[in-house]
Amino acid sequence: MNRRTPKIIRFASSLKVAIVLLILIAAYIVIGTLLPQHGDPSLYLERYPRAGSLIIALSLDKAYSSLIFRVLMALFSLNLTLCTVISMKGQVKQLDKGFFPSFQSEEFVIEDVEREKLLAYCNRRRYTIADDGTVIKAGTYRFGVLGATITHIGILVLFIGAVIGSRSASDETVNLLPGNQHRFEKQGFTITLDDFHMTFQESGAVQQYISTLTIADDDGTTTSEALWVNKPLHHKGLGFYQANFGWASNLQIADDSGAVVAGGLMRSGYSYFYQPSHLTIYLYNYYPEMGIGHQDQPVKMSEREIDPYYAVILYEFGEPVGSYIVAPGDHIHYKDLHIYFTHSVAYTGLLVRKDLSYPIVLTSFIIMLIGLFISFYLYPRFISYEGGKVVTSSRRNGWVFHQNVKSALANKD
Amino acid sequence: MYQRIENVTFIIAFAFYVVSALLFLIQISKLSKRVEKVGVLTTLAGLVLHTVAMAARTIGAGRLPFSNQYEFALSFAWGIVLSFLILFALYRFGAIGAFVLPLAILVMGYASMQNKTVRPLMPALQSIWLTFHVGTAILSYGSFALACAISVIYLIDSKRTSEHKILAEPEVSDILSYRVVVFGFMMLTIVIISGAIWAQKAWSRYWAWDPKETWSLITWIIYAIYLHMRLRKNWRGKHAAWFSIIGFVSVIFTFVGVNILLPSIHSYVN
Ligand code: HEM
Repeated sequence: MNRRTPKIIRFASSLKVAIVLLILIAAYIVIGTLLPQHGDPSLYLERYPRAGSLIIALSLDKAYSSLIFRVLMALFSLNLTLCTVISMKGQVKQLDKGFFPSFQSEEFVIEDVEREKLLAYCNRRRYTIADDGTVIKAGTYRFGVLGATITHIGILVLFIGAVIGSRSASDETVNLLPGNQHRFEKQGFTITLDDFHMTFQESGAVQQYISTLTIADDDGTTTSEALWVNKPLHHKGLGFYQANFGWASNLQIADDSGAVVAGGLMRSGYSYFYQPSHLTIYLYNYYPEMGIGHQDQPVKMSEREIDPYYAVILYEFGEPVGSYIVAPGDHIHYKDLHIYFTHSVAYTGLLVRKDLSYPIVLTSFIIMLIGLFISFYLYPRFISYEGGKVVTSSRRNGWVFHQNVKSALANKD
Repeated sequence: MYQRIENVTFIIAFAFYVVSALLFLIQISKLSKRVEKVGVLTTLAGLVLHTVAMAARTIGAGRLPFSNQYEFALSFAWGIVLSFLILFALYRFGAIGAFVLPLAILVMGYASMQNKTVRPLMPALQSIWLTFHVGTAILSYGSFALACAISVIYLIDSKRTSEHKILAEPEVSDILSYRVVVFGFMMLTIVIISGAIWAQKAWSRYWAWDPKETWSLITWIIYAIYLHMRLRKNWRGKHAAWFSIIGFVSVIFTFVGVNILLPSIHSYVN
């Protein structure tokens, strides 16, 4: 940075400001991990009588989406951009083959080195050498000076990705039973769930949830593909993720003659209201493999359909009139009605997400890693030689570089 | 059977580490200089058995031991000892063992308090990214532990006269700790990135401000500040040493504290 840079820019791009901002950001996000997020304001006032109003004033109840957090990040981005742009000019100068730092260090000196030996070392390591007969100056990995800039650019690209993501990303959950369809009007295609099933570990724990979909595009092409946890499916800018699952149970209500008068699929925890008798059928739960818990309550042992049972509670005019544990096909007689469940079907819960920022974020990761690797391992190394005395110089790893040169020069060959 | 092999080798490895730590302590208290070699050998023996314990678990479980607190602590301690031995192979500073091995012993002690049952992987963990993510975490955390130990030595040495120093030249421990932090930082970056890529595959979001994620970011920020202060403001010696110790405290909190403390705070929201 040269003297003509205005003071305000010099300040705004300074490392001091960067570190203050980083500490503020770190403190802010740490508090975010300590406080429950997105609660009701009254919760904080009640729970933290002293700090509650401060928490709300600083938006620490929604730390990661608050204006304060965004302002901090914006200031940090500005600082990083300025500092990167300003330091670039000096770095470009250092790429020049004629560039050498001043070799002042008293620490990194190697005495009594033969000229030829040093030249051989430098040639072997592909140093560019400036030799005027008495003084030799050699340098390598000059491009390494750009490592920090590349890293910083990677971080800025990441921020751009994050901003685009937070503005444009959206998601919805779609629950489908086998055979069900869902239409994506804007993208112009329809999905059909062909199959959903679980595979199991020996212990009975679920090993995997697998949904098979047929995607029908409006132009007539269809494809069929499976997705599971950790293997999402992408189509026309939408990502489909296996996120959830549940059971839908087939309820039947029959009269005394055996004729079915009502029924259909219902989820556990939901009720069906049969108007003619003012009867509410509440499916408390479905147990694919039922066991008996501590207080003689039914418990779900696994999701394998080994020994299925339904827990059902009936209400008439809002008053509970009976509770039952029944197997598929078992009839509950209530007055002149037969109430029973025939079977259950597992449904899949897909998270459908649109996020255009991910490729940008992936790119930023790659840029950052390249930049870090260059900074830390391909940094510039310089050697000067005069009258048997070698001085090594590298800003990033002085002692180790010095040791390496020293031991290489000490070798016999 | 694999469980038996694992338990036995775990205990013997632990014992070897304790013996090695004592030997290195004897070495640095200048009671005897020759114990260094023995100390390195017992550490190596410990690491071999430790590796056998991990291999037994890998075979028994049918996957790498990377998926719960016990397994990760087992691997973390392994990473600490491994990075110490690699550093020894490069620079022959055995004395660092007096400070690194106690850290490994603590982490193994923590491991032994965890539930050891082999559990099948839940679907979200069944990913190639788990291996990559945790594998780099072991290297990263192992390096930060090593850097912390070297920094402690630096701080002790900086108060002593030259004949009582643990490592002859404090400048060397200063720069070594810096280089080890550099490696750890590189690896931590890969840990966070691979975690993000995995989260994108499993949960559709590469970043969700979960406490564990956030704390790993804090650790990363701390070390980023350290690197900048060193390079730009010429921070050396004491400041840098304290910073690398603070960084390691953040590592430990990310590993242990977040699991123990934060879920309980958050649990009532759910
Ligand atoms: C957390 C975000 C940041 C990361 C991960 C990062 C990363 C890096 C890395 C890896 C280096 C090379 C360091 C070394 O070789 O020891 C570096 C150097 C540097 N960084 Fe950053 N940086 C960040 C933020 C910033 C900010 C905000 C500034 C602005 C003031 C800044 C200014 C610099 C400067 C001036 C250098 C030295 C360049 C040189 O002399 O070659 N960094 N940064």
